[in-house]
Amino acid sequence: MLVSRRTALKQVLFVSAGLALLPSCFRKTPPASIKLRNIVLDADDENVLAALADTLIPKTNTPGAKDVSAHHFTMTMVDDCFKKEDQQRWLEGMKAFDKLCRDKYSHAFEKCTPDERASLLTTLEAAKADTDAAAYFYQTSKRLIIQGYTSSEYYLTKVQVYELVPARFHGSIPVKQPDRRTA
Amino acid sequence: MANINNSAQDRTFDAIVIGSGISGGWAAKEFTEKGLKTLVLERGRDVKHLKDYPTTNMYPWEFPHRGQIPEAIKEENPVVSRCYAYKEDAMHFFVKDKEHPYVQDKPFDWIRGYQVGGKSLMWARQTQRWSNYDFEGPARDGFAVDWPIRYEDLAPWYSYVEKFAGISGNKDGIAHLPDGEFLPPMELTKVETYFKDFVAANYKDRHVIYGRCAHLSEPQQIHKEQGRVQCQKRVLCQRGCPFGGYFSSNSSTLPWAEKTGNMTLRPFSVVHSIIYDEQKGKATGVRVIDTNTKQMTEFYANVIFVNAAAVNTNLILLNSTSHRFPDGLGNDSGLLGKYFAFHNYRGHISALYEGYKEFTTEGRRPTSAYIPRFRNVEKQETDFLRGYAAGFISERFSFTKKEGFGHSLKEQLFNEELGPWFVGSHMMGETIPKEKSRITLDKEKKDEWGMPLLHVDMDYDDNDEKMLKDFFEQMTEMYTRAGFTDIKTSDSKQAPGLDIHEMGGVRMGNDPKTSLLNKWNQLHACQNVFVTDGACMTSTSTQNPSLTYMALTARAVDHAVSQLKKGEI
Repeated sequence: MLVSRRTALKQVLFVSAGLALLPSCFRKTPPASIKLRNIVLDADDENVLAALADTLIPKTNTPGAKDVSAHHFTMTMVDDCFKKEDQQRWLEGMKAFDKLCRDKYSHAFEKCTPDERASLLTTLEAAKADTDAAAYFYQTSKRLIIQGYTSSEYYLTKVQVYELVPARFHGSIPVKQPDRRTA
Repeated sequence: MANINNSAQDRTFDAIVIGSGISGGWAAKEFTEKGLKTLVLERGRDVKHLKDYPTTNMYPWEFPHRGQIPEAIKEENPVVSRCYAYKEDAMHFFVKDKEHPYVQDKPFDWIRGYQVGGKSLMWARQTQRWSNYDFEGPARDGFAVDWPIRYEDLAPWYSYVEKFAGISGNKDGIAHLPDGEFLPPMELTKVETYFKDFVAANYKDRHVIYGRCAHLSEPQQIHKEQGRVQCQKRVLCQRGCPFGGYFSSNSSTLPWAEKTGNMTLRPFSVVHSIIYDEQKGKATGVRVIDTNTKQMTEFYANVIFVNAAAVNTNLILLNSTSHRFPDGLGNDSGLLGKYFAFHNYRGHISALYEGYKEFTTEGRRPTSAYIPRFRNVEKQETDFLRGYAAGFISERFSFTKKEGFGHSLKEQLFNEELGPWFVGSHMMGETIPKEKSRITLDKEKKDEWGMPLLHVDMDYDDNDEKMLKDFFEQMTEMYTRAGFTDIKTSDSKQAPGLDIHEMGGVRMGNDPKTSLLNKWNQLHACQNVFVTDGACMTSTSTQNPSLTYMALTARAVDHAVSQLKKGEI
């Protein structure tokens, strides 16, 4: 079904106006699955982040970012460790990201085909975060998803092993070229 | 703990030590070992070695914010949030601004640890001796007052505390940074060794040495008796070390004191003031506010050591007023709280080194290299007084490329690459104590426990600015000549205090008219009260000060006990 941009926007406005009037318990979309203190995210937002995590660092023979809950980590960090103005910017960026996706493909990011996702992210990789809201959301979330992934138990026990008790320091050893790891 | 509040007799000890941090822990150990029944008062909660290090064995992924402090906490506590060690893994050991307010007449970042062990739990563990180039500084250069002691007075006590604490280092034979009783040093990295050799070959009076630090690189019998084992190079020290790999009151002096059976440790005890007996002409005890019940109780002893950490030691003495001492205990000179100083840590320099690409490091190291002071050492040669020491570190960081998305991004994340050798130094500058740099008490405002709020009023001066400029110039020149590239200098512009080397206010000196403490750290005018923490410092020099506090404390206790035996105090 093709819907004109104007009609789509009208529908969105109508629906959101309706939602605003309804008590939250009648809302169709349940809240996010983790407790947040400062920002409000619902299950749809969480799905977008999960899909983004899965697209950025997909599951292969090894776990991907979604498998290690890097999207939840992202939500926690924005909620607790971002300044108010940055939270606002990120939330607006998320809306812009969603709108960009719907404008282009008429559905949410998680419904996109791999090609659609790739095309969208390629655009946002090249865009400037300081002028483009969707790019700010994408690039900020990418940084947090990578941080969540590379500091996860999986990554630090199976990929780059973190030693709690190294029990040694050698100041000068020859560099060994590590074997290339397949992800 | 027995109920010690019952009768005056139950509240009477041979010695009282106010504070359980790095110097208070030493006072406790020395007194109890010498057989004195000792009350150790700590304003914060108890922190028992091993038991009370909740984060010590946590992995990075177990911290919800991977170490970062949440924004709401930062906003409420801007001062402590500026401290490099205030992270998710150790935040429970730091005082929150909000809980313990003070008044900054000028910006002063006061970093505090209110618990048994104090800041000895989270300190940076660097330990260098002073020399006569430091003790003779004020007399030679005409500032503050002459120190009443010389290196020879303290040298045996440095040895004494070093052997027990365990100090790793190398005997470098540098006159102005005397060697100590060292356990083997931690290794230098390839580029640190290169720079050490380069400086030795190109600068007559400059040195790059192995950092000297309070880590058990090779534990001796005395350390094993303390239940401490070899440093495991975890570099998670600020969480409290289950191996006792670094020295803290909690892992070392306090359990040692406990074992004698002579120590009574009383947490949650804010000392309101020292009781001065006008008839006897000496102090007889302390008034303590219980932080939980807010009730005031008196405790008595023949000798009192004030080791509340520099700023709070000033507070206690200023608040100890009597008919004889209306302006604070021992304050005949009117100088109590004045001539306060700190270290200038504003300068940083970083660079890269393109050589030695075929070498790297392995494991972790809780220290770095160190550049002892090289300015104005033998004589005045610059347009500023004194000088600075510097840290020196060179290491390679692994990184991963993070380009694009999808499988190719994941491949990048799975394959770390080794970056170039990073090189960096930070400045540790001596500052000149001045009469106008001072701590005072608010006449009206009080804290939750009824203690007057503190005012801190001090700032950098022209000498500090010139020294900072010189640090940038000299280090840039050394780095450039050594072939380092991409050299960047930066002035953190941090407020005084963030160095966490605050000193003075109760300075030592020969003359009661111009100082508070004599050469044994006794108040000139009230000789059974001793101050051996940072408050006693007449000048600051460039060395990390804790080792000197330890040595001064052990020496002062020895003197106090011999005077007690002779009935002189």
